[in-house]
Amino acid sequence: MNTPVLRADTLTKRYGKHTALTEATLDIPAGRIVGLVGPNGAGKSTLLALAAGLIRPTSGHIEVLGRTPAADSAALADVGFVAQDTPVYAGLSVDDHLKLGEHLNPTWDGAFARDRIAQLGLDPAKKAGRLSGGQKAQLALTIAAAKRPRLLIFDEPVAALDPLARRAFLQNLMELVAELDVSVILSSHLIGDVERVCDHLIVLAESRVQVAGDIDDLLAAHHRVVGPRGTLDTLPDGVQVIAADHTDRQTTLIVHNTTGRPLDLPGADTIGLEDMVLTYLHRAEGIGTPTLQETRA
Amino acid sequence: MIWLTWRQMRAQTLWTAGVVAAVAAYLLYLAADIRDAYRVNITDCTTACEEAAHTLADQFGSGLLLIGVLLLAAPALIGAFWAVPLITRELETGTHRLVWSQSVTRTRWLAVKLALVGGVSVLFTGALSLLLTWAAGPFDKVVDSRFEPLTFAARDLAPFGYALLAFTLGLVVGVLARKTLVAMAVTLLVFVVFQLVMANVLRPHFAEPVTETIAWADANTVGQIDSFGIGPAGAGIQEYKIPGAWVISGYIAVDKGDGTEVTGADIEACETQGGTPDDCMIAMDATFDVTYQPADRYWDFQWIEFGIAAGLAAILAGVAFWRLPRGLN
Repeated sequence: MNTPVLRADTLTKRYGKHTALTEATLDIPAGRIVGLVGPNGAGKSTLLALAAGLIRPTSGHIEVLGRTPAADSAALADVGFVAQDTPVYAGLSVDDHLKLGEHLNPTWDGAFARDRIAQLGLDPAKKAGRLSGGQKAQLALTIAAAKRPRLLIFDEPVAALDPLARRAFLQNLMELVAELDVSVILSSHLIGDVERVCDHLIVLAESRVQVAGDIDDLLAAHHRVVGPRGTLDTLPDGVQVIAADHTDRQTTLIVHNTTGRPLDLPGADTIGLEDMVLTYLHRAEGIGTPTLQETRA
Repeated sequence: MIWLTWRQMRAQTLWTAGVVAAVAAYLLYLAADIRDAYRVNITDCTTACEEAAHTLADQFGSGLLLIGVLLLAAPALIGAFWAVPLITRELETGTHRLVWSQSVTRTRWLAVKLALVGGVSVLFTGALSLLLTWAAGPFDKVVDSRFEPLTFAARDLAPFGYALLAFTLGLVVGVLARKTLVAMAVTLLVFVVFQLVMANVLRPHFAEPVTETIAWADANTVGQIDSFGIGPAGAGIQEYKIPGAWVISGYIAVDKGDGTEVTGADIEACETQGGTPDDCMIAMDATFDVTYQPADRYWDFQWIEFGIAAGLAAILAGVAFWRLPRGLN
């Protein structure tokens, strides 16, 4: 279990001139529930598709559970992937999907899959095309989980669901994770969802990884610092300014303390996860960059 | 994988099998009909046998031609409606991301699809080809023009190669175009162009054609002059047939014994003396050059045709096997 779940080194994916993912470097330990957040088009799906081995990197390197993704049948068996919009075969029944899973996965747990379908109250004879969005997501999750992978990857599993179905799905996912002892990477553009279920976070924006780490560590290392204007021009080594806001009289900074020691600054306060994420997203979009450069100079 | 392939292809396979069975039944009926006519018009013929042979040829010619065209279209349709959606339907519904993240590599997924669905396409097309070849047997013997483009491509081995090629073509175009309708249109277009190029440009050159000088006196024993014209410019054969062979020459100029072309004046001069054009030509020691592919090259040509199509199919399959593991998102 000591093999990192995902390790990426300057991972880049380009589509023609468009760069979907730029030099992502990541090291995700096993046993985490990883939330991948970022706006639409940030590169979340690209990163997850690379991790699932559906596409290959343009440059850089990625390893999932210590192996090249989708390199062979065994590597595929280790990873359960539920793609965005939870695709299922509209013309095949729920039962057909379970048979598909059984025929295509040597590690298939048929009893688990049938129990889960029964628990969810899905009619095995019903065509998958006639299921609701939530039911489709549940079916896709069941297929991915019943192959007993060591890593489950979800690309925006709840994006298409109404709030009630979303909550139920995430609740169900959490129970499943507890039952199966599996690492999870899920992407979402809803920080609230991620905060509720994840313990590790990757913020992706403008095709780049902005910050990544265990959520508790990240929260402990990010601070809002308020002080009279001019007093915060120089900061200790290893303290990075993520955003700066100046009025005539005072300066407000959001800083990332990478020193590993407690931040020794007057006026420093903790910030919430949502504020932290939004700060990174704003920075990536270039909002507030001019003031940031002023501070650095 | 075999189960899934069958589950996904079940409806269309059964449906197509129904069509194939119907065509096969019709071919059996036609075969009996042709054999009856052959017995009456050829085997038991006592008087005016040549005419009887023509009657038989006329009676079945257009029907067999139609089935031949159908057999030419079959691989194209299978390529467009079976091979293309094999990839594009998955891409359009996003289900490729479901099936390719099961514990089956994309190479294996493709191999099974290619072997099973492609295999069934070749089987269907090939079965119809062999059945048509057999059914039309007596007719082909009477008409004796197996190199006729539409006949050649719809008999024996050629349809097998076409089926292989059309299927792999549809697959690769599907991989590259990704949109079902676009890929279908491109597949049909490319395949039809290929068939035309094959019949008109490549096939005549599978082997160096034979050029033979034929004396007018022997013209109708070696072959048969179907159409012959005399005008002010001279004399020429518009259509010359050699049984079973493929005459490549179009318009054939006729020369006199001294090597110069027969002119209109020559013929006029001769005719005023009261001879028939035939007598005149013989009197002038007329000869002409015919370029053709001899009848005994038929099987060589069938194998070459099959080989080219199968070779291209192998290359296309290679492209698909190279491309697919690299991802299509």
